[in-house]
Amino acid sequence: MPSFPMVWRRFLCTQTSNFSFFNQKPAAVRRPQWPIKQVTKSNFVDSLDEIKNHISESDFVAVSLKNTGSYSSPWHRILPFDTAETAYLKAKYAAERFQILQFAVCPFSIRASNKLTAHPFNFHLFPRDELKTGMPCYSFSCQPSYLASMARDDFDFNLCINDGISYLSRAQESAAKIQIENPVSNDYVTQSPSSRSVADNVFVERIKSKVGHWISACTRSDTRTDDALVNSLRKLILGGEDYGSRPSLNIDVCSERQVQLVFEMVKSQYENVVPLTIPAKGGGTQSVRVVLTSSKEDRDLFKTELQDIEEEQSKRIRGFREVIDLISASRKPVIAHNSLNDFAFIYSKFLSPLPSTMDEFRSSLHSAFPDVLDINHLMKEVGPLSKYNNLPSAISYLKRNFFAPIEIEIPQKASIEENKNHGHDAVRISELFAKLCSILKITHDNGPSSLKRHLNVFNQGSNGFLDEGDDISIWTHNPKKISIDNLVFIWGFRGGISAGKLKNLLCNSHERLSEDDLFDVRLVDKNCAVVVFWKSGLSEWFLAAIDSGEELRELAAEGFMGAGYEAYRRVCKFEVLGADLADSLAECRVLEGGEVESDEVYWNSELMINFDDL
Amino acid sequence: MKQHWMVRALSKTLTLFPISFSSSRACSSHSSSFAIKNVTKSNFDSSLSDLRRHVRDSDFVSIDLEMTGVTSAPWRESFEFDRYDVRYLKVKDSAEKFAVVQFGVCTFRWDPTKQSFIAHPHNFYIFPRQEVGGDARSYEFLCQTSSIDFLAKYQFDFNVCVKEGISYLSRELEDEARSQLHSAHEDELPESPCAMKAIKDVPLVRMADILFVERMKNKLNEWHDDLLQVRNGGSSRIVKDSNASIDQFETIFFRMRPAIKLNGFTSRQLRLIKSIVEKSFKDLAYIRVNGDSCSQQIIVYIDSRRDLELLMKEVKESLCKESEMKIGAAIGFRHVIDLLSSEQKLIVGHNCFLDIAHVCRKFLGPLPSNLEEYVTLVHKNFPYIIDTKILLNASNILQLKMKKSSTSLPKAFAIICPHIASASGLAHTSSVAVEVQVDDMRSSNWNSGAKHEAGYDAFMTGCIFAQSCKHLDIDFTNSHSSNLNLNLIKQNKLHNYINLLYLSWSSGDIVNLNTAQTTTESSVFKIQQPKIPFQNIALIWGFSSKLKARAIKEILCKVFGLTSVTSVYHLDKTAVFVQFSNPELVSEFLEMKSSLEKKKNDAIYVFHPLSELLEGGHTCAASYEAYKQICGSPVSKVLFADQAEAVGVKVETIKAQQSVCFHNLDTKKQINCQSGFPKGEMLDVVSC
Repeated sequence: MPSFPMVWRRFLCTQTSNFSFFNQKPAAVRRPQWPIKQVTKSNFVDSLDEIKNHISESDFVAVSLKNTGSYSSPWHRILPFDTAETAYLKAKYAAERFQILQFAVCPFSIRASNKLTAHPFNFHLFPRDELKTGMPCYSFSCQPSYLASMARDDFDFNLCINDGISYLSRAQESAAKIQIENPVSNDYVTQSPSSRSVADNVFVERIKSKVGHWISACTRSDTRTDDALVNSLRKLILGGEDYGSRPSLNIDVCSERQVQLVFEMVKSQYENVVPLTIPAKGGGTQSVRVVLTSSKEDRDLFKTELQDIEEEQSKRIRGFREVIDLISASRKPVIAHNSLNDFAFIYSKFLSPLPSTMDEFRSSLHSAFPDVLDINHLMKEVGPLSKYNNLPSAISYLKRNFFAPIEIEIPQKASIEENKNHGHDAVRISELFAKLCSILKITHDNGPSSLKRHLNVFNQGSNGFLDEGDDISIWTHNPKKISIDNLVFIWGFRGGISAGKLKNLLCNSHERLSEDDLFDVRLVDKNCAVVVFWKSGLSEWFLAAIDSGEELRELAAEGFMGAGYEAYRRVCKFEVLGADLADSLAECRVLEGGEVESDEVYWNSELMINFDDL
Repeated sequence: MKQHWMVRALSKTLTLFPISFSSSRACSSHSSSFAIKNVTKSNFDSSLSDLRRHVRDSDFVSIDLEMTGVTSAPWRESFEFDRYDVRYLKVKDSAEKFAVVQFGVCTFRWDPTKQSFIAHPHNFYIFPRQEVGGDARSYEFLCQTSSIDFLAKYQFDFNVCVKEGISYLSRELEDEARSQLHSAHEDELPESPCAMKAIKDVPLVRMADILFVERMKNKLNEWHDDLLQVRNGGSSRIVKDSNASIDQFETIFFRMRPAIKLNGFTSRQLRLIKSIVEKSFKDLAYIRVNGDSCSQQIIVYIDSRRDLELLMKEVKESLCKESEMKIGAAIGFRHVIDLLSSEQKLIVGHNCFLDIAHVCRKFLGPLPSNLEEYVTLVHKNFPYIIDTKILLNASNILQLKMKKSSTSLPKAFAIICPHIASASGLAHTSSVAVEVQVDDMRSSNWNSGAKHEAGYDAFMTGCIFAQSCKHLDIDFTNSHSSNLNLNLIKQNKLHNYINLLYLSWSSGDIVNLNTAQTTTESSVFKIQQPKIPFQNIALIWGFSSKLKARAIKEILCKVFGLTSVTSVYHLDKTAVFVQFSNPELVSEFLEMKSSLEKKKNDAIYVFHPLSELLEGGHTCAASYEAYKQICGSPVSKVLFADQAEAVGVKVETIKAQQSVCFHNLDTKKQINCQSGFPKGEMLDVVSC
């Protein structure tokens, strides 16, 4: 029982209200079993009200996603030498291809510095084409290793595919509304009464008399009790039909202008008539339907009925996005782990297609989620944590080094059946956040101000993207920022060589490189390495030398190739990121030809290191 | 749908009872239903050895595949306007992107004593799990949402597929893995482990480390001395060790040498131990071996340097052997394909061009870039393939039987094999009996009813083929006189149908695998379509979404005359094919378009009928060749206009030469962009 003391400790410090400790299998001891509400299509509507209340009552919302993959090749990961821009491009690439299968949302509050009240939900998603419009997505990529690891966690793929909740992004919703023909009672904004032409007046008069005729016929039939045959005949002649229990009449229109005229006329002339637009296929208005209500009360009733129908329809269209909208509308700080990746996914699936630059992404994400907080960023405040960039190791690091007991209270009841209880990461994130707040002395009372400086730092694992420039920090023992100008990508060496050997090789290749501590080498993948020169200017010489093959003849003869950071940037913008960075860089050079040089001159002058910043 | 579920549930319960089929004839009157043979990771090895036997004895083998999708974009679907090379590119794209999740194999053997075929249907769940190292990317696959939904509708069990699916390794990846292994092996051999490989000293900073190192030194010393004492005939003290250290320090024998197995140390502690061993003990060696699941650290006592070298060589060799074994084990489901290929049996599929492409891509290697080379590849590996869809449409006898009905698999099965398809279907004298065997169970009236399950689909295909042979007057009864097998391949009556596959069912293009020639189907029942003159076709995309096919036709007719446009066909909402009445019109149109675009501000432009088509400024046009280029791209955007932009086809010239133009990245703008975020510094401590 080597693991017993650990469990005991957790039992003491994170006692949950219905933490069933004794009937768990040994394997489950490692991960706590919090009661997390599992939401699928069947219980989505009920859960929506519940989570709505919890979000509005909580201080924070933690989110965590389970995707079908993240990166396909080692270099597709966000690496320490990525700038904000290239990191975003990589995150975008992943978000556009892979799919979210689980979305855990945990609204939580921290009371009295160590009491965490959480309401975790785990939503199962599947991008089913519910409306037969080819949305939300035509296809998505999967990485077998991701699916296999989900399978090991007893993820139920059948449940997910059969009963997962579908969704449409905001952009897709507006596109879908056009495709689904549904009467809309949008109150036509009465534009400034523009001068009516003669044709307009003729049209209005014609419609007015038609509607008047129809109304009088309808009301007359109310007083007399005719037999069904007469009624239906009248209907046939008048061209009216029933809309629900109320009589209605369709008026054909040829333009949006006429729609407006009909609306104006009806509003001014007939109090108890409600006009609706019937959308045409592919946008525009096909006709206007006027519905006769019996009284003012009935009219209001009818209008609310319409609104309800519309709301219902929208809900069906939005699906899971409703939850995203709730979080967004609450303006509560959203806590995530690896926020750049997660929010790239959230943005592309639930808002709109991802913009092409980081800046656009940042600003439009900001309008939807004003406060995003990355756990990784907070982690950096308490220690050199680049190694602890996964949740369990971060938690265990904090456990070892700090005393910050957190009492987790989960008031809700949910099944904690082991194989059906997913979405723990969201609770872990909130736990970690509470711990960090307690360590960093961020309390809710001074929350807004003390949290502010941690917000919206899109922080991926190791690199902070707050810095706008292209200076990056490379590795552990040398935490100084260097300009990306000093980076050179090399390839063409024998696969499987170690970084140390490669460095030796370079050192011995030329006397200018033989000095100590002049540069460092790291492998990106097995065929490509990045060389960082600690002194500026050397990278340009190196690139030129390796290209011309004169000064670095031996390397060139061995097939060594080199490229500057600009080539890497271009490669990150490719439509398809190649499997092998070396191949992509080589392809990029072929495509761009000699252009690289001219650019270099430009960005060299711009991007000197600012030593004052260091 | 519910019914399917019930049937499967029923069949599951049935298998639970030990029904003894002592005489298969006895229960032939009832429609018996037991579960199909599902093969997963756990029963793969035993099933494979059975299958080897069945395939060897079989007269033909039918196959069917279930995939995670068919087209990676709507405009990649099969169109009438697909030229054979374009069609191949579309199939190639599909086979490259989607995964096979179920593989049905059904062997058929004629049993002359029973006057019946014996079928062994197998339903393999496969999953592209990566078992050996290499490029993770080659295992990634695409899922088409609608296909996944379709599979779900027919009760496909995704959990079994992901958790229990059999993995596989293509021949190409196997070769790659082996060559990698050998080069790694050769690399490492000259390096002896103690060669001065700059071992980074772990700095002893913390007090705990120093204490730990001292304790370990003592422990090792103790063990070492004990060992020598034992060797010199002294008594052993090891037995008296405390319980805790037995856990961590387990004395074992490693390749005939005394050794300590290190358990439960952290990686830092292990590194410290390693440096102690290397620094303080000349006759101990620290090595890492791969255990069952993870690597295991061991300290071994060695007699001399030579002994060490010997030991290292042994370890390396065993490592190498182990990796070889791993690669061998990773082949997995490919063994089935290798079996089908090496036995050179007649392979039967239903509309199986895509299936065969998947087989080649998944189990052989990358698909060639053109149809001719591909056909050679297929023919080399699978010399005899017959497509029941071809058979049903090409043979007049069978066409009469089909009565113009759809030749989809379930329909064809119901019409051709009514005696098997439904319990009420009466057996005629001409009906071919098929007895199904699953493990120990047999039935001559088997129907699992699980449509769109690869194993059952393969069974249906095989039954259709068997019955079709009968209709074609192929005599099973005495053809086995010389040989045990029917030798269907040599049958003259089948000769006209073997190795013909539908390249595209909708256009009736057929490819001959023997000659790599493509022909368009000629048949009495199918309305003969005129051959599409591809040089008359222009491709237009990126126009205003308001424009529909009819409007585009009207615009073009205004410019080129009423009879100039034969037809306009939507690829998707952003692109159309326009078939002109002659090829000159294509170039005329492209020319006019580009010249018109140059004088955008002229009055002529505004009044020109084409300006409506060019509205928005994103309208592009090209000849048919551009479509081929776009289909050949690995990119798959949902909308065709986006795709064309991503591929970078720019077509302006009359001859419609395409210039690939990757959009120039505006680097300067990139760098200049400044945003309101403070230029705060975040110093990162990062290990690469």
